[in-house]
Amino acid sequence: MRVLMFTWEFPPLISGGLGTACYGIVKGLLKKGVEVDLVLPTKEEVYFPMRKESDVDDLPIKFISPQKEIEFNNTVFTTSTEKYQYVGISSVPESYISVKEIKSFYDYFKVFVERSEYKTKVPFQEVLNNIMGSENIFEKVKEFTLRAQRYAQTLDYDLIHAHDWLTYPAGIVAKTVSGKKLVCHIHATEFDRAGGAGDIRIHNIEYSGMTEADSVIAVSRYTAEMVISRYLIDTAKISVVHNAHNIDIKESEHKKRLFKDPVVLFLGRITLQKGPDYFLEAARIILKKYPKVRFVMAGAGDMEKKIVHKSAKYRLKNRFLFTGFLNGSHVAEMFENSDIYVLSSVSEPFGIAPLEAMSYSLATIISKQSGVAEVIQNAIKVDFWDVKLLAHHIIELIEKPEYRKKLGLAGRHEVELIKWDKACDEIIQVYKKTMKRQLS
Amino acid sequence: MINLVFYFQVHQPYRIRNFSVLDIGKGKDFFDDELNGEVMRKVANKCYLPTNKLMLELIDKFEGRFRVSYSITGTAIEQFRKYCPEVLYSFRDLAKTNCVEFIGETYYHSLSFLYDKDEFLDQVKMHRDTIKKEFGFSPITFRNTELIYQDTLSDYIWEEEGYKVILTEGVDRILDWRSPLYSYKDKNKNMMMLLKFYSLSDDIAFRFSNKGWVEYPLTVDKFVKWIRDLNLIEKGKKNLYLNLFMDYETFGEHQWEETGIFEFMRALPGKALRSQQIDFAWPSDVLQKTNYQPESISFPEPVSWADMERDLSAWRENDMQYNALETFYEILPKIKAAGDPALIEMARKLSTSDHYYYMSTKYFQDGDVHKYFSPYGAPETGYRNFMNAITDLEERI
Repeated sequence: MRVLMFTWEFPPLISGGLGTACYGIVKGLLKKGVEVDLVLPTKEEVYFPMRKESDVDDLPIKFISPQKEIEFNNTVFTTSTEKYQYVGISSVPESYISVKEIKSFYDYFKVFVERSEYKTKVPFQEVLNNIMGSENIFEKVKEFTLRAQRYAQTLDYDLIHAHDWLTYPAGIVAKTVSGKKLVCHIHATEFDRAGGAGDIRIHNIEYSGMTEADSVIAVSRYTAEMVISRYLIDTAKISVVHNAHNIDIKESEHKKRLFKDPVVLFLGRITLQKGPDYFLEAARIILKKYPKVRFVMAGAGDMEKKIVHKSAKYRLKNRFLFTGFLNGSHVAEMFENSDIYVLSSVSEPFGIAPLEAMSYSLATIISKQSGVAEVIQNAIKVDFWDVKLLAHHIIELIEKPEYRKKLGLAGRHEVELIKWDKACDEIIQVYKKTMKRQLS
Repeated sequence: MINLVFYFQVHQPYRIRNFSVLDIGKGKDFFDDELNGEVMRKVANKCYLPTNKLMLELIDKFEGRFRVSYSITGTAIEQFRKYCPEVLYSFRDLAKTNCVEFIGETYYHSLSFLYDKDEFLDQVKMHRDTIKKEFGFSPITFRNTELIYQDTLSDYIWEEEGYKVILTEGVDRILDWRSPLYSYKDKNKNMMMLLKFYSLSDDIAFRFSNKGWVEYPLTVDKFVKWIRDLNLIEKGKKNLYLNLFMDYETFGEHQWEETGIFEFMRALPGKALRSQQIDFAWPSDVLQKTNYQPESISFPEPVSWADMERDLSAWRENDMQYNALETFYEILPKIKAAGDPALIEMARKLSTSDHYYYMSTKYFQDGDVHKYFSPYGAPETGYRNFMNAITDLEERI
């Protein structure tokens, strides 16, 4: 079986959990013999033909244009970074098609809208109406969508799999031109990101994608319920496949220490969705009573400045620190050097970071408003808004190092069982079911 | 007679590199050696070396009638020695002419006066010793970091041996109807005071190359005429002081060579001295030259020479600055008590006012001077690096 997969993030092109999840999914699929042609928002028109497990790290590159493929093969690269730069894939997504091409977007889409064989099948008008906007991200989504037709016609595959709204329009285009079935994977909805009703254009694109999809995969029951109640998607085509992780850490003899005092960690994007302000409020309560704790907020995001200023306003001295953006190896190091992990998300479709934290034996506290709460037992669960209770639990873990250690170890053993292998079996089941529907 | 009192501030901080939480406790150097060396060499070539050469020429030419004064911070001297020793040699050459006065300040160009009297006096003494050692000069004039001043400063400095003159900003809200051209005494009448004449100082330091300024271009004739016009106000025989205080980096760095700033300075002494009413003086000359009873003047609230506000807000206005300063002065005594000289030295380098200046959000959006001077993309980045650096030191105790 071969899958044409559209996604916005994949290591090294990554900004959050989506990239981590896609990496785990593709690796798991390859292990089970499912091949993947991966399409990313690259500058050049390339795809990544994944055929064996090691390909997720090697990222083999193929150009759609045979001419460019020859040029590429004749270019010598000393590092893989150089190679990624050549095709325009870096740690930060950037614009990759000329403005002229974007201008032709509406003409291009009009063709789909007007062609009778597509007219009734696909909510193109819906996408066309809602993909408007000149913000950077919308421009990029347009660019990405423009290319979908060429990928769909050139490549050979059995099924289309699109991750999150950014790639749904591309998924719809590919489905239309190829007649293949479409699986839309929902990692986060606009409701999660915005902490309530968000950008109406994004809601509409999410709705179009899920409506047009033959199957929808939600990363948790929490998310599935949202998909059903807010987007009114047919329950029969929704499957829940919980996220997992691939971390394999050898239990180290000695805990690494950056600080003499216990470290309480927030790690993730510093955005409204992740509830960094609730973490800060809890820290404020705790530091009044226990000045000998270090709180570390690791990551970057649009609320970072606000939290920096607020932590300074509370005069938390150097007991509340910031790391700035962390790359993969730094994330691991941060976990190694922490004692307690807190997921304070306001709305978290899944939340892979707590699984990572637990695999590093960190005592973990997670928001009840998360998908991950459905799959783990050995973590403390609190409502994100209940900062007093959150503070109470953190204090308890600080006061009782034995309890902290016990919870950390139990968590570690528990998450060892939550691997992508099992999740990918479930995804393949969804694929098979979806393709069977095509036959009948 | 009106005396032109030139005082130039020479300072370079130890800038902090991007320093993450993960760098804490690993014995890493958090100062940006590469950047600091680069800045020092750049400024040396654009400003320090050519301007020192010019000053030497002028001193030579006017045989002692052209006089200037310098305040050179300890962190600048250390970095001359490390990155560009010829700058230090050229200042020594200037010292040998005996036509240069060196002014005392805190070694680290710090805000310690506001937080920790003992630390402040320690840093003043360190600076005094360094100036004596490097230039064979014992300062009798004092200026605090960025001309920050309030009444208690004179009292602190008075306790230190030797200081008789103090410099600060001629702030309108303090001077009220009084003129900054007179010499004054501090509130308790222990020290002689000179006040910066900010409009004419800033005409050179900030507006010189500003094409939008109505007086552009600033010629020497025009500037000397303005000075003579000032003198007309005072027809008596009183000795007045036009205090032109500015960053030394004005020459060649803030105002590039192409603006004509060097030609301006080269021509100024000759034109000025041709007038019978204008002379040059060191700040300490005020002790002999003042031929009237100076009035005492009180600064109940702190002032400085920074920004339009001329208060402390460049370094201490937003929460990041307050939190950083309070954290620093809470940890510093612990580091001093532990007694490791290397740690104390690193900590003191963090007392330099520039670190707090980089955290200012006042004008950042407008791309104003704060941004021009900052090595960081955002005030929050400066804050993060600073807080991680001071935490690193705390963990090393």
